[in-house]
Amino acid sequence: MADNSNSSFPGTNPFLHTDFSTSIKGDAHSSPFQKIEEEDEFEVTSPTDATFKRSNAGDNSTGGGVFFKGDAFGGGSGGGGGGGGNGNHSLFSRSPFDQSPNEGSPSEPSRPTGAAAGQGFPNNYALGRRTSVSAESLNPTSAGSDSWTPPFHVKSEEQLSRLKTAVSSNFLFAHLDDEQFKTVLDALVEKPIPAKDIKVITQGDAGDFFYIVEDGHFDIYIHPSGAAQPGPDGLGNKVSTIAPGGSFGELALMYNAPRAATVISVDPKSTLWALDRVTFRRILMDSAFQRRRMYEAFLEEVPLLASLKPYERSKIADALDTIKFAAGATIITEGDPGDAFYLLEAGEADAVKEGVDRPVKSYRRGDYFGELALLDDKPRAASIVAKTEVKVARLGRDGFKRLLGPVEEIMRRAEYEKPE
Amino acid sequence: MATETVEPSTRNTAPRAPMSPAKDGIYEKEKEKTLAATVRPAHQRAVNPFVITQRSEEKQLGVSAKGLRLSDLVLIKTLGTGTFARVWLARLKGEEERKNKVFALKVLRKADVIKLKQVEHVRNERKTLAAVAGHPFITTLIASFTDEQSLYMLLDYCPGGEIFSYLRRARRFNEYTSIFYAAEITMTIEFLHDVHGVAYRDLKPENILLDADGHLRLVDFGFAKQVGNRETYTLCGTPEYLAPEVIHNSGHGLAVDWWALGILIYEFLVGQPPFWDQNPMRIYEQIVEGHVRFPHSMAPAARDIVSALCKTNPSERLGHISGGSARVKAHAFFNSVNWDDLYYRRIKGPIIPRVDHPADTGNFEEYPDPPDPSSQTPYTEDLKRKYEPLFNDF
Repeated sequence: MADNSNSSFPGTNPFLHTDFSTSIKGDAHSSPFQKIEEEDEFEVTSPTDATFKRSNAGDNSTGGGVFFKGDAFGGGSGGGGGGGGNGNHSLFSRSPFDQSPNEGSPSEPSRPTGAAAGQGFPNNYALGRRTSVSAESLNPTSAGSDSWTPPFHVKSEEQLSRLKTAVSSNFLFAHLDDEQFKTVLDALVEKPIPAKDIKVITQGDAGDFFYIVEDGHFDIYIHPSGAAQPGPDGLGNKVSTIAPGGSFGELALMYNAPRAATVISVDPKSTLWALDRVTFRRILMDSAFQRRRMYEAFLEEVPLLASLKPYERSKIADALDTIKFAAGATIITEGDPGDAFYLLEAGEADAVKEGVDRPVKSYRRGDYFGELALLDDKPRAASIVAKTEVKVARLGRDGFKRLLGPVEEIMRRAEYEKPE
Repeated sequence: MATETVEPSTRNTAPRAPMSPAKDGIYEKEKEKTLAATVRPAHQRAVNPFVITQRSEEKQLGVSAKGLRLSDLVLIKTLGTGTFARVWLARLKGEEERKNKVFALKVLRKADVIKLKQVEHVRNERKTLAAVAGHPFITTLIASFTDEQSLYMLLDYCPGGEIFSYLRRARRFNEYTSIFYAAEITMTIEFLHDVHGVAYRDLKPENILLDADGHLRLVDFGFAKQVGNRETYTLCGTPEYLAPEVIHNSGHGLAVDWWALGILIYEFLVGQPPFWDQNPMRIYEQIVEGHVRFPHSMAPAARDIVSALCKTNPSERLGHISGGSARVKAHAFFNSVNWDDLYYRRIKGPIIPRVDHPADTGNFEEYPDPPDPSSQTPYTEDLKRKYEPLFNDF
């Protein structure tokens, strides 16, 4: 149902200069490396270009990947000693006085402008100057719930499941956790389209909403000028049709960019679901902000991390993933290689060892486990089993080594299997 | 003298900072004009980026000049345009004996700034530029002022033009050139982060100018913000250079500049950024996936630094992980760099721009004339009541 190509517009990039827009069509997905091969021919001719004699800025086609093999000063022989790849005598440490003699002739000052610019470039990358983009500024309120609550529009279970399917392949939604996903779906507002030929969005207009099609079909038109024009053919060419389960206008969830196409209803009656950018980004922001505050508050309580500075704890908070386990589930298995360290966020867990009847250690909120195997690269010394439903914050091996270095000694001092 | 240049309409708009009556009016304006006219050229004051805050003679930079007027300046030529700003080459009137003393004047129409919801960003820009004024690799704010319609920032003129133009023309830079420029940018990011806690947030070749000596100047601080160790949430930047956490809106901080440095180094060496598609949503999809493909000709150290800077998880990103910017500078990619020499500008830049005279604009592209003011959004009384106090810092 949700054809991926329907969820976005294949057409004009709003960041593109119009003069490029016709020449780059159809090749957007080709590998960039082919392009580089292609322009090698160009480089053979460029140094002779009189208007850009000092093309030392250009690639000297060293190819082999040896640093400074090519003389960056465009053929100045005096630089050879410095550029010989000798790490102790770097080009950078030459005094300006040494430079001036051999700088004289080969280094005519450069102009970046002029007729030759752009010549020989592969034309599938847009070479134009890129425009900055910006969305509305959002600030989380530390006060919490009082200021903003996400909108809630009632939907049936069936509608929810269809909407979920419609957006699940979209990368903006793919990384949401269950809670965020639910909040986002709840915020979708129904937009009935009561007739045929209604323009839902118009190419070139400001875009604030993202739409999911519940029923009905919608045609997509793109005008080569980048904006819909008045008159009978003003919409440009029809490029595609969106069916139920499809979606369009997703860029509006990022920032206000001009619409890349015009979308028109085909059926006498259709239904859309709409989501505006501020609501969407606000939901993401609030949940990220709450999660961070929760982790920071939690990490502050963890005795092991008490000696860390607040910003060190906040970096750890960034690197944590929450995982839930049902009561009775095994979090760590004895004998497995160690790949992560865990902080117990909620619930209780026991450490058990093969051949030992009772738990060798018990854990509750604020406790940690899994460090031994990481400290010494040994297999897990015990299994950890969830006693109740458990929430753990997981820190992978890399993060553990990088972020918990300062407390390694404390962890090594911890004692195990000592009857309490 | 010169009473005709004091326009009654502008006199009333900008509420002035409290000051002694003697300092007000014409005397003040003359003082500010003199100040602007006598600011030493960039290359003479670039001594050590980390001591500028202590150099008393540089403290006059970045002031809010309540007496200065647009009518004190002659606008010569457009150097660049943005969504809501235009930058002019400008000269002080009555400075004929100093014909070569020119400036870049950034003009922002208040109505456009409000319409595009950039009021906070513009305020951050002025504040940041004033704080860092005098740094050898950052454009210098000499003074700012306002009138009825617009905000003005008087900046050093950087005659070499944009690195962007050189890069597109050369297609790509060689290792030496790329390392040199990446190193100067690394030092600039280090300074912004460590000394001011400022995230720049819009690194790209278009925002890097070349000065007469071939050294870099970072310009356009429209998205710069003092964040320190906190998080901020406003999506801003340039599509190809946005970090994954900005796209996800999960909160971002200083680490976004290190991500962008990785993209910049890649674009220097390869000629185009690693993530690109005609459709911006596909760019973002690639960015959050974070899989960088390298041309086989790219040197191992270059690949390694790009991979380390372009880690999708900011807590794993070089520059942001423990060791901070020092770890970036210690990377094998920068092995050949003598940071001390670079720091004191003892090395000549790899590209020396052709600058025939200080007011030469030959390295900038041509821009169309500004639109007729009558066709532009008016700054209504209503907007003024609501927003004017926010522009008081200028």
